[in-house]
Amino acid sequence: MTVPLLTPVDIGHARYMALTDPGTAFWALVDKTQVADILAGGPLLDAYREKAGDFARELHALRFGLKPSAVYVNPTERCNLDCTYCYLPGKMRRDGGHMPQDKLLAALDKLRRYFATVMPEGRRPRIIFHGSEPLMNRKAVFAAIETFDDDFIFGLQTNGTLLDRAAIDFLTAREVSIGLSLDGPEAAITDSTRHTWSGRSVHARVLTAMDALRGYDAWSVITTCTTENLAHLPRMIELFHAREVPTCMLNTVRCTLPGARGVKPADPDMARAFIAALDRSHELYRETGRKLVVANFANILIAILAPTARRLMCDISPCGGGRAFFALAADGGLYPCSEFIGLSRFRGGNLFESGAEAALDSEGFRLVTGRDVDAFAPCRDCAIRHFCGSPCPAEAHEMNGGMDRTGAFCGFYKEQVRYAFRLIADGIADDYLWDGWDEGTETVFKHALG
Amino acid sequence: MQKTKPKQRQQTVPIAPAAPAPTIAVRKSCNPDGVGLSHYVLMDRKKVK
Repeated sequence: MTVPLLTPVDIGHARYMALTDPGTAFWALVDKTQVADILAGGPLLDAYREKAGDFARELHALRFGLKPSAVYVNPTERCNLDCTYCYLPGKMRRDGGHMPQDKLLAALDKLRRYFATVMPEGRRPRIIFHGSEPLMNRKAVFAAIETFDDDFIFGLQTNGTLLDRAAIDFLTAREVSIGLSLDGPEAAITDSTRHTWSGRSVHARVLTAMDALRGYDAWSVITTCTTENLAHLPRMIELFHAREVPTCMLNTVRCTLPGARGVKPADPDMARAFIAALDRSHELYRETGRKLVVANFANILIAILAPTARRLMCDISPCGGGRAFFALAADGGLYPCSEFIGLSRFRGGNLFESGAEAALDSEGFRLVTGRDVDAFAPCRDCAIRHFCGSPCPAEAHEMNGGMDRTGAFCGFYKEQVRYAFRLIADGIADDYLWDGWDEGTETVFKHALG
Repeated sequence: MQKTKPKQRQQTVPIAPAAPAPTIAVRKSCNPDGVGLSHYVLMDRKKVK
């Protein structure tokens, strides 16, 4: 295979520069003094030339060849909170309805039969109960978990305010993966974006739930990063580490709906605060020997080190919406991702009427699965486009005016990738990843010339 | 509450990085099974293998 010219990327490191082939997500870190010699030819390019075809095929299969293996299920439209940045319409969250229990059981039965046609035997699909607040419809959710315990692997993303002892006992006994949300190291900061409809604080209730989950290994906490908490991210890390949270995410606020854009940080501010938080997590690891993995950053590192081992499918183009997973709304509607519930244009039919197969081939889904960073500017000329994927299509469409636009945090992603490369250059990338993250992977390229 | 055996909370000894080489290039590969998104991260990856 003819190897295209590698693109130099300044990663802000004293010694190294990155060279990437964006089309295959190949990269090498090279001594800055040797860049010209390496680009002229030699062992690195020879070794890459042998593998370039394999890498291109691998990336293509990851981007276009996956079948769904998970569904994000909203068992209710309602939420007991009114968060500033929610991507679901306020009227739906305040006045919406539940999916009745018999309907939810029927939905999971339909999905079980659908997955039997697309997933290899022996691998269970995932159902993640998501929101709005799924525990507003707790009886139906727990009945579904009880009924289909052998058929699916279950997860639950909750705001944590309804997660009482009985719920925790039920969920942990069944090894349900649990995600919570908390936006500040103290109530005043959390309250600025997350609160009840009447404006009451929920900070203390989430901390109580976190304390009750301590010792369980399948839980995580999401912090949504906004102008309101940006300065406090290192303190969030300290709080999570002290409470033995196994994994957290420090997510940029999703700017799909206008409410969120009012608390959107600027890219340089977001990058600075995020990297300070990562640095703090590393200091705590060095001090205590215990990791707190920041999953959304870990995913960027993994996208570089092992593209197919990604756990999150936002940072890839096309994103996982409508192909690796899809979303089921409480009224039976199907959407590429829960981010699109509330945007009728992206509705791909109804599970009980047209079914999952028809949704995957619907115009609404194809709008998302057809979003390809190789096809539009400026992404198509970006050296890191397949480490980033320019998330999120919902933001690109609603905030920036179309699927052929970048997501909301282009500059932030570039800084993340540069930082990730610096960690690799310094030989400390594993400090930021789950222990055993590469179990089940095979090393297909290794080049460390002395 | 059922306490499963902690994995992430185990203490590990940070390893000092080896002396860096002038050129570093690594790629690993596996069967893809990622289905997480920014609203949810899988915490039990091994179960799907």
